[in-house]
Amino acid sequence: MILSFAILGLLYIVFLSVLAYIGLGFLPITIIAFIMILAQWYFSDKIVLWSSGAKMVTTDQFPELHNLVDRIVARNSLPKTKIAIINTRMPNAFATGKGPKSSVVAVTTGLMDILNTEELEGVIAHELTHIRNRDVLVLTLASLFSTVAWYLMQFGFYGGLYSGGMGYGSNRNNNSAGAMIIVIAVALLTWVVSFLIIRAISRYREFAADRGSAQMTGKPVELANALMKISGNMKNIPTRDLRQEEGLNAFFIIPALSGSTIGNLFSTHPPVQKRVQKLMEMEASMG
Amino acid sequence: MNFIFRRLGNKNYHNTNGHKTDSDALFSLCSAQITLETNLDLRYTGKAAMSLKSVSGRFFTEAVAEIKHFLDVSKAESDLSYRMINDSYGYLWIIFESSKIEDIILGISAVGQIIHDRSFAKQLLAALFQFSNRKNNNDANQYLVYNYTLNKFYPFAPLNKNKRDDKIEREIMKTIVDELPVEKDVSLWYPIWNFAI
Repeated sequence: MILSFAILGLLYIVFLSVLAYIGLGFLPITIIAFIMILAQWYFSDKIVLWSSGAKMVTTDQFPELHNLVDRIVARNSLPKTKIAIINTRMPNAFATGKGPKSSVVAVTTGLMDILNTEELEGVIAHELTHIRNRDVLVLTLASLFSTVAWYLMQFGFYGGLYSGGMGYGSNRNNNSAGAMIIVIAVALLTWVVSFLIIRAISRYREFAADRGSAQMTGKPVELANALMKISGNMKNIPTRDLRQEEGLNAFFIIPALSGSTIGNLFSTHPPVQKRVQKLMEMEASMG
Repeated sequence: MNFIFRRLGNKNYHNTNGHKTDSDALFSLCSAQITLETNLDLRYTGKAAMSLKSVSGRFFTEAVAEIKHFLDVSKAESDLSYRMINDSYGYLWIIFESSKIEDIILGISAVGQIIHDRSFAKQLLAALFQFSNRKNNNDANQYLVYNYTLNKFYPFAPLNKNKRDDKIEREIMKTIVDELPVEKDVSLWYPIWNFAI
């Protein structure tokens, strides 16, 4: 999700650079940038839910999952979130939303298959901490600041070159082409730096969410187990029936889809080993 | 039980490739059962089952008839009772009941031998042995699954709604690892849901 935000940010910067090059004034560009950032924040949950194929589910459809969330929010006096299910065997979960009340926690069916109740509780408490800490807003703001930083720098830079170029009428095309390259280069540099900063913030927020989950459930080890399972570091006990597997003749095929793909998904997260280690330290300190 | 021993004894009960046979693995369950009871308070319930994929045709029907005949005769000599069920996956289940685990293992081995002799060994899926925790009898039962393809055991502790109690499964695994040929790769611990024991 954060990666997609970063790529979105890159698109804005290129887009705004082109607008600035065309010669749009300071004010129109400010307004366009503002609208784009507002739209990104406003539609972030819808975009995320739509692109992941998550479906909202009611208490009647998934009573156990709703019960689980109800119990956590009740114990920690949090507002009840909406719950969504993504029908895929890949184990994952995320939270999205503009504020605690309108938030959505989404889990995949694969996650529910491989985790037991307490592990699932740990993962959901982690996502609920993201919501409580308003992490979506924090990251949107972070990308907003990076865009603004770029914007200010770019205008100063571009304005200077542009006015300098005006002195030589015949060379105007050459100069402005060179200016365009410099502008894009500076914009990209700003993007790279802000991308790294956003990733650092994101990693910090992940540790914070792990800590929050441990406090909510009182069982850091369950989240640690869940992380090991999700990341493929712990082999999963299958739930598909032996008779079905025999039918597919899949008995000695080593499951190919375990570690690497999920590792990619977690690239904005701290390494699982580090998170597990911190959770185990919490577990030990609880005596 | 002499009858069954004779049946096992007068046949050359070894695979052509010299692997340990199914009955060797199955018989090691006798001691493992005691360890499970002492360490985890898991007691053998007297129920077990074996399943094989049904095949159409006269040869398979004859094999089933021989199994029935054999089990009917041995019923007279021991307290091993049995029934047969066909499930929705097309597997034939032979469900055994006997207070002595040795009798059940002998029965399953002998039936396995008949199936080997009639060249249906590849049809064999698994044998399941039922255990229960005496402290909380209302809890679900636990099973040891013997997988014929792997020639190994693994634990299976079903909860309701196709969920497994992997905690107790790992505990069972720890307890029996030195006594039984066990499958250490948990990703091969395929469950068997909704079977009629």
